[in-house]
Amino acid sequence: MKLETLSRVRRAMNRVYEIITDTSLDYKDKRHLLAAEAENFLPYVKISEKAQNYFAEGILCDLFEGHAPYRPRYILPDYQKFMEKGSEYLNLKPPQDLFEAVNALLIIYRYVPSITSYPVYLGQVDELLEPFVLAAGEELSEKLLKMFLVQIDRVLPDGFVHMNIGPKDTRTGRLLLKLERELKQAVPNISLKYNEETPDSFAVEAVKTALEIGKPYFVNDRELKEDLDPAYGVASCYNTLLIGGGSFTLVRLNLKEAAKKARDFQDFIQNVLPDAVLAQAEVINARAKFIVEEAKFFETSFLAKEGLISLDRFTSMAGYFGLYECLEHLTGLKLGQDKEALYYAEQVLKTAKDTLKRVPGAYCNGTGGRIGFHAQSGIDSDIDVTPGVRIKYGEEPDIFTQIKTEGRLHKYFDTGISDIYIFDRTARENPEGVLKIIKGALEEGIRVFSFNTSDSEFIRITGYLVKRTDVLKYEKGEVLREDTVKLGAASIKNNNTEARKVRIIGERNSQ
Amino acid sequence: MRGIVNKIIEVSFIDGPGSRMAIFLQGCNLDCLYCHNPETKKYCQNCGRCVEQCPAGALTNLDGRVTWDKAICHGCDRCLEVCPHSSSPKTTLWEVEDLVAYILENEVFLDGVTFSGGECTLQADFILEVSHKLKEKSNLTVFVDTNCFLEEEKFLTLCQNIDGIMADLKAFDPVLHRKLTGVANELIFQNLNTASQLGVLYEVRTVLVPGLNDHPQEVKNIARFIRELNSYTLLKLIPFRNYGVKSYLKEAPNLPEEKFFELFEVATEILGSRVYGKYSI
Ligand code: SF4
Ligand code: SF4
Repeated sequence: MKLETLSRVRRAMNRVYEIITDTSLDYKDKRHLLAAEAENFLPYVKISEKAQNYFAEGILCDLFEGHAPYRPRYILPDYQKFMEKGSEYLNLKPPQDLFEAVNALLIIYRYVPSITSYPVYLGQVDELLEPFVLAAGEELSEKLLKMFLVQIDRVLPDGFVHMNIGPKDTRTGRLLLKLERELKQAVPNISLKYNEETPDSFAVEAVKTALEIGKPYFVNDRELKEDLDPAYGVASCYNTLLIGGGSFTLVRLNLKEAAKKARDFQDFIQNVLPDAVLAQAEVINARAKFIVEEAKFFETSFLAKEGLISLDRFTSMAGYFGLYECLEHLTGLKLGQDKEALYYAEQVLKTAKDTLKRVPGAYCNGTGGRIGFHAQSGIDSDIDVTPGVRIKYGEEPDIFTQIKTEGRLHKYFDTGISDIYIFDRTARENPEGVLKIIKGALEEGIRVFSFNTSDSEFIRITGYLVKRTDVLKYEKGEVLREDTVKLGAASIKNNNTEARKVRIIGERNSQ
Repeated sequence: MRGIVNKIIEVSFIDGPGSRMAIFLQGCNLDCLYCHNPETKKYCQNCGRCVEQCPAGALTNLDGRVTWDKAICHGCDRCLEVCPHSSSPKTTLWEVEDLVAYILENEVFLDGVTFSGGECTLQADFILEVSHKLKEKSNLTVFVDTNCFLEEEKFLTLCQNIDGIMADLKAFDPVLHRKLTGVANELIFQNLNTASQLGVLYEVRTVLVPGLNDHPQEVKNIARFIRELNSYTLLKLIPFRNYGVKSYLKEAPNLPEEKFFELFEVATEILGSRVYGKYSI
């Protein structure tokens, strides 16, 4: 054996041994990491030297997706079809009552691959279960839905597992919101698709729930339907993708690091940024092709064979982050504080998006043959760089200016963007007031509005939630069920998550 | 016309129904033992005392007028500490038109505005003009958070031109009221009646202070009074907390939670769900 190969083998063996003997990991985490180690023993999918350099410089990052991807990063099965047809592969007939429906969903969730190995999309659960819930009656439904939610939290303990409800008011939707408020679980993540048809009384229930446990998000249904597809879903953190489709991969570009290579703003817009975006697209396409052509995912997955997903509803995502620091570096302006910063911000996003849309996206039929444009929310290892196109935590202007600034930027992002607003606890006294602000925000162009209270037991990291108590347990060295707690704990330290400004100070000095 | 504004909070959840911009006006006519912001009591006399104390150089004295540069102020509140006149140099003069324009800029997020203070009715004419202009141009509602210690006729005009009153009733017992605030409460009751009859008495709020008005009889009297008034006014009970109290009662203990629940019960027996407490503790 060549010396080089030998040392690679040694390193891999050491790494495998480390994983197996790591006492901070439980069995399933180890299994997941070992699989990643095996994948990474293969060479990286073929990419140019230029792209490799961008990785080395920290401008591009594939979020540790692995060298040789063998499944799409995110998959959004068409669960409605599954409910109607059942599944031959799973030997399941279409469910006839609520027991069978809940059972069927809990079974199929275990068979949906993803980058985390957990299903990142649970479907429009209220719609899926509503006919069965209406037939089963209130009491039985409540009991079964509670077991359903508990099962999801215990068996799929990952903050990226994501359920959708709305925009219609349903018995099921109301029950789910009520139960979530009682159960106070970090999993699943929840999105409420919100539009003009969503009645206030239902939306207020959702606000009350969010003020307790930091979810659901409010999603701008009208805009996303128009921009993406009427049958879209929200998966993982806040990725907006097509139902029956998903995303092969997500490769992200650090705008802050890229900015450092430019002489000035013009140089950035004309040369540096387009060049980096092209390299990003190259990597994305190489990864997508590998999944389809070499790993032959679609030829082997029962989801595809049974029509629950189809290749023509997939896409890939190009993620962007660090816009705040990019602008600060190149123009000296602070987004949210300086009005002109918004002009430059739009220039950056337009340039990146136009460049990206010039390149055909391999198998990206879900977004018109082009790669999806995405605001990447940052990961635990990012230090001093602001997620997506948000305003740096602690530097936010007043809430109205913040919303209006970000509202202008959200329109560029067809495959996901969000922001987080922290209210003080007095918001709980007045959910109608919170709803008014959300409505205003969606009108101003915000696509995903997420909020929380400053005293909440739940912390929203970038897109997922963790419990404060779990973070403390993790820091004491306890092995935890939820793998997202590790990410969250590191993120809180590195990203200054807790510096987010409390946006609504209702508690005055006067009494 | 210009108003003297102490500060503006873009949106507040505790100053009336829905999402409201809270506009705090300078000046007060009561002298409450538990005042949290005595610096809102009086108008600045331009004595210049605070100017040299400002570590940021945010205050300047130009021809006997003290001005404040918000952009460089650190918010250390040193100026408030040294002011001998219960005032603040950090107020802003707002033209009616400018304030209306600022509110309307944020109309999509708001159900309305609430004037508070200090005692905002000292600048009732300013409120009336803003309200008038706002109603010409939007559906926003105007609420006023007041101690109701205002000349009857003026109070009537105010009530006829706004949408809601949030009234502070510091104590039911007249002796206790005088002790707590320095003034009698006869006029206040009179005005509460007026607001009630006009259908604008949205809420009465009472801070329960240990050893002073935390007596079940006090709470009973207030609740009964509201029950007699009408069928719609809410009662908000607020437990005293000494955090931020700068005057007489700054050493006083917080109202214990059990005590608060007990009094809350007393009021609820009379008014039912029309009683609510701070953050629903
Ligand atoms: S708070 Fe007052 S003393 Fe402090 S910097 Fe501002 S103006 Fe100056
Ligand atoms: S704020 Fe007080 S100390 Fe400063 S000039 Fe005015 S009255 Fe004098």
